[in-house]
Amino acid sequence: MSTWIQQAVARGRLTTRFPWAPPNEEEAPITAHAPEVPPPATRTLPLAAPVCPTGAIESEGVRQGACIRCARCLSHGLTPTGPVDLMASSIALLRSPSGLRHEPPSVRSPSPGFRRSLHVFLIDVGSCNACNREALGLANPYYDSQRLGIFFTNSPRHADVLLVVGIPTREMLPSLSRTYEAMPGPKAVVAIGACALEGGIFHGNPHAALPLSDHVPVDAYVPGCPPPPLAILSALWRVMRGPPSREGP
Amino acid sequence: MTRSSWVETSLSEVPKTSHDLSLSYLSPDARLAILTDYTEHRTRVLRGEPLGLDPARFPNQPWLAPAARGLRRCPPDEDVRGYGIFTFPYGPVTGGVPEAVRFDVRTYGERILELTPVTGFKRRGVLAGIAGLPLPDAALRVERMVGNLSAAHVTAFLTAAESARGLPVPERELWTRALALELQRIYNHLHAVARVAESAAQSVGQAQVHALSEEVLRLAGWAFGHRWLFGALLPGGPDRRLEPSDRRTIGTRIARISADFQTLWDLLSHTRIFVDRIQGTSPIPRREAIRWGAVGPTLRASSVGWDDRVHAPIPPYTDLFVAVPQGIDGDALDRIAVRVGEIQSSTLAIEQILDRWPAASGEIPPEPCVEAHRGIARVEGPNGDLIYDVTMQGDRVAGASCRSASEANLPLLALGSRQSVFTDFSFAWESFGFVIAEVDR
Ligand code: SF4
Ligand code: SF4
Repeated sequence: MSTWIQQAVARGRLTTRFPWAPPNEEEAPITAHAPEVPPPATRTLPLAAPVCPTGAIESEGVRQGACIRCARCLSHGLTPTGPVDLMASSIALLRSPSGLRHEPPSVRSPSPGFRRSLHVFLIDVGSCNACNREALGLANPYYDSQRLGIFFTNSPRHADVLLVVGIPTREMLPSLSRTYEAMPGPKAVVAIGACALEGGIFHGNPHAALPLSDHVPVDAYVPGCPPPPLAILSALWRVMRGPPSREGP
Repeated sequence: MTRSSWVETSLSEVPKTSHDLSLSYLSPDARLAILTDYTEHRTRVLRGEPLGLDPARFPNQPWLAPAARGLRRCPPDEDVRGYGIFTFPYGPVTGGVPEAVRFDVRTYGERILELTPVTGFKRRGVLAGIAGLPLPDAALRVERMVGNLSAAHVTAFLTAAESARGLPVPERELWTRALALELQRIYNHLHAVARVAESAAQSVGQAQVHALSEEVLRLAGWAFGHRWLFGALLPGGPDRRLEPSDRRTIGTRIARISADFQTLWDLLSHTRIFVDRIQGTSPIPRREAIRWGAVGPTLRASSVGWDDRVHAPIPPYTDLFVAVPQGIDGDALDRIAVRVGEIQSSTLAIEQILDRWPAASGEIPPEPCVEAHRGIARVEGPNGDLIYDVTMQGDRVAGASCRSASEANLPLLALGSRQSVFTDFSFAWESFGFVIAEVDR
């Protein structure tokens, strides 16, 4: 056993400082953000709109929830947004799936019941598996969600949060409602990934029954395709504690 | 550098290596022959019949595993009825399997008499939906069909589409695909080992291996701009010149991850509780693996040394040496050991790819097409042989179908779980490395 411990010690501290300090560049890759419009050039939007494969570009801006970060619009006048500020910005959490970048985020009903710990159950309703892996990856030593009291559970009966990944297919709807009903209250639903928000690249898919909020009440939406792990962690943290603060624990 | 010099210098330490060069490469005609069988096999498997391939003649015969939708049955040993025997559905929402799939389990107490995987819950109709789209738009959907195997699916899809169009391909794009494919193989194999360790309650071990798989994702994000390689291989995408310093960085980081993993594996494979749980679990005898048309690490664990990168290679694998580790018993331990060996062999493949990265982007003729406007490609993905059949009309996709590795192997889960106890199910499941997103696509 001692060799295992030697191994872990030899590899040193891997865990992110988030949410007590802003994430570094590798932890919050640029793909976390949808591109945005350079301020004086709103008129470039109609030029960029036809190249967008998801129809995320509208006359007022880019719909965060629909964008899959494919970067095609970057050669048509839109610019990548800077490094993600998960501490302060609206990016990790949208109140509605179609939120534009300037809309303030909020959590539907931050529950006092979640103060100490949060048990999360992941449900796949039609994902490509990348969102699943990013979410479950939060337990690895780089993110170590357990240190914040966020645990993944194997049963909806022990869960506070239902984490929904993928585009909701009709075949999965009964299981989705049953799983939600099996959870004890107070409970919250967090949808992650463009598929669960607006269908992502598969928007308009005849097998899908969007929006998700028709089937379960959704508290928070995390955009991205897939969202970087820290965006998911940030969302769970906010559901649990409100916005992250810059002060230490 | 020639093949033989690679054998002598770098591969002496790879465990369980067998590089069977006696198998002949498949010609395009053989591929067409395969396709005819393929339809017949699909029907047979739907009826619950094995392919009936003759192991004595294998693998000198072209062969192909079945693809089927809906129920994947493996007939029970005997029709057991009686007091205490019942069938219960497990899934499609379970804590143990993070994807949407159901298993109908017929059981007597703990023992599994029959297990039937039922799929179709997360079908999104992706391949049907790409008909009529221009190639780059279609590829954008194919890569998001199976996120953790995106490089394999996009490579197979594009290779088939290019062969259908008959247009030459920029050489550097081919090398970029191979680099992405090997990175993703290492990531997926690390993930499989970590999940099995997790099931065996090896908490320190699984955390350390999971950390390494995160490092591969970060490396992919750094090298390709996306952790899951989305957008990295799209036609008309960025030409990756990869400066020598970039190549050094990728090479050193992957070599370090691979070396760290070997240290962890040495510890894991000497942990009795871990080995006891997976040794002898869900064994697939060689004969059954061939009869049912298993592919990838599952097939190789049952001591059949077939690997598309060696036996049906697309460029640049025609110029690379790839070691093919094999197992003996075909149990969960062998499937994991094959993956462990492949992490090393992919590290060596990446070393060769970076060494010989083309300085100028020349053009390479496409694979010959099987029919006018119709191309077929086989690519060895992390879970095994992946086949795409694509028809093009000008620069638009007219139709595409695919036979994924997970659907070829799914009947083997039913076979391997028979007579095992339900607590072993998670070891069996994780050792096969199934990805339901490529079955329900
Ligand atoms: S989906 Fe692609 S093209 Fe559309 S806004 Fe997002 S990055 Fe731009
Ligand atoms: S949002 Fe993107 S990564 Fe997530 S399931 Fe959909 S396609 Fe996959």
